[in-house]
Amino acid sequence: MLTAEQNEQLTQVEAGTPMGEVLRRYWYPVAFTRELEEFPVKRVELLGDFFALWKSPSGRYGIVPEACPHRKASLAYGVVEPDGIRCPYHGWVFDTDGACTSQPAERDNTQFQERVRAQAGKVEEMGGLVWAYVGPSPAPELPRFDTYVMDGYRDIGWADLPCNYVQIMENAVDPHHVEFLHGRYFEFVGKHEGFTAPASFGKEHMKIGFTAFEWGIIKRRVLKGATEENDDWKVGHPLVFPYNMRVGGGGIHQMQIRVPVNRTTTRFILYTVHSPDGYEHVEQPQIPDYELPVFDKAGRHVTNYVEGQDMMAWVTQGAITDRTTEHLGRSDIGVAMLRKMFREQMDVVARGEDPLGTIREKHERIDLPCEKDKFHAGGAQFALDFCDMGSTRFSPVLDTIKKIHISAADKIASEKAAAE
Amino acid sequence: MSTPVDRRFVADAAAHRRDVPRFCPGCAGGLGMATEFWEAEERRFYCSCTGCGWTGEITPTGAVATGHEPEH
Repeated sequence: MLTAEQNEQLTQVEAGTPMGEVLRRYWYPVAFTRELEEFPVKRVELLGDFFALWKSPSGRYGIVPEACPHRKASLAYGVVEPDGIRCPYHGWVFDTDGACTSQPAERDNTQFQERVRAQAGKVEEMGGLVWAYVGPSPAPELPRFDTYVMDGYRDIGWADLPCNYVQIMENAVDPHHVEFLHGRYFEFVGKHEGFTAPASFGKEHMKIGFTAFEWGIIKRRVLKGATEENDDWKVGHPLVFPYNMRVGGGGIHQMQIRVPVNRTTTRFILYTVHSPDGYEHVEQPQIPDYELPVFDKAGRHVTNYVEGQDMMAWVTQGAITDRTTEHLGRSDIGVAMLRKMFREQMDVVARGEDPLGTIREKHERIDLPCEKDKFHAGGAQFALDFCDMGSTRFSPVLDTIKKIHISAADKIASEKAAAE
Repeated sequence: MSTPVDRRFVADAAAHRRDVPRFCPGCAGGLGMATEFWEAEERRFYCSCTGCGWTGEITPTGAVATGHEPEH
């Protein structure tokens, strides 16, 4: 339970608010790479602000606030030219640094051009996603987390959800929900729809724990039949501050991304890499993306798959959940810890320092701790459950993914047999 | 913009507002965030100080100091 003022502060994303200023210190995925290959300019909403994102014919990306500094027409309808984006209304051009380089109907006047700079952000492409930074300069480095740069077969599921991102992040430090939402409730839905829910999700929690680390919070659990020597406790998996969670198991590596589009809209992205032991490289000219079903035709949540259950729980809390009348228990201590972390980072940014999880050193790859033997369910079995019972069932490359896991498991089995 | 307040629990919200710790036990600075949760019959506040970094739980006890009797 929080006061109304604390709930307000915690859930803000807008510029000039303490939390909005924290959020503007990070890079966000704002498009799929293929989108700008299909059409070179896109209107983007991020943190409650609108932007024009473009890719020039030479492959350079740019992002500026959507409104043209001249008469406020949308640059998201601009003409993409070799040296920048040209406003469709009067032809002013802004380059990737935000400089106004052309005002066709005006006399040459560098002073006027300097006055109308467009405050450009930074843009990079990584792992099939286009990433933008729209905060103060100098921009930190784009963190090259393992999932985005490792070898493996990829797909990207996504959904736009009508709720604040904080309640989604609170789910990332809530181990117990798995046992009920993806265990007991899944069984209940399965019983009525005629399928068998995966047993591994319903295992009873014996112990939970949380450790703050340089990228966020590591979540740990001991499930019935396991010990602290099992991966779920010994390694755990991290909430990557402030808007991601790294999960995986059975040769699957996933970043769950929750982009605060605005205060009450969150783009949920499941960035998944299939790379089991024994994986043999499969070419992917383009990474497929697909929209996840959130509601059925009757407007009810689709809850017969894992992430559909999560989305139901997040969205039904309300656009911004009322934390003044919630009733947390001891099992929600991870939620309290996360709120503390959010609050601390507001002060860090107010002092002019870099918040948790920003990086300024050049780097090749950041490996995040993540359990491999998830729910001690056995690698290949977990992977197949993941394919059939999770969002991957909607992937346009589901068959290829299953074949990858089955052939990798066969390869490892035959190698083992040959060695014995 | 928030979801409407759940009228069933306005008394709990008022109690939270009344009892939430405001000052750090370590440095007497303002507490940044205090999340209330329940543990059996106890209301607890998970608090952190943005000034000195003190982090801990504060439990209102009322006037009676209670002990406990393990099985013996």
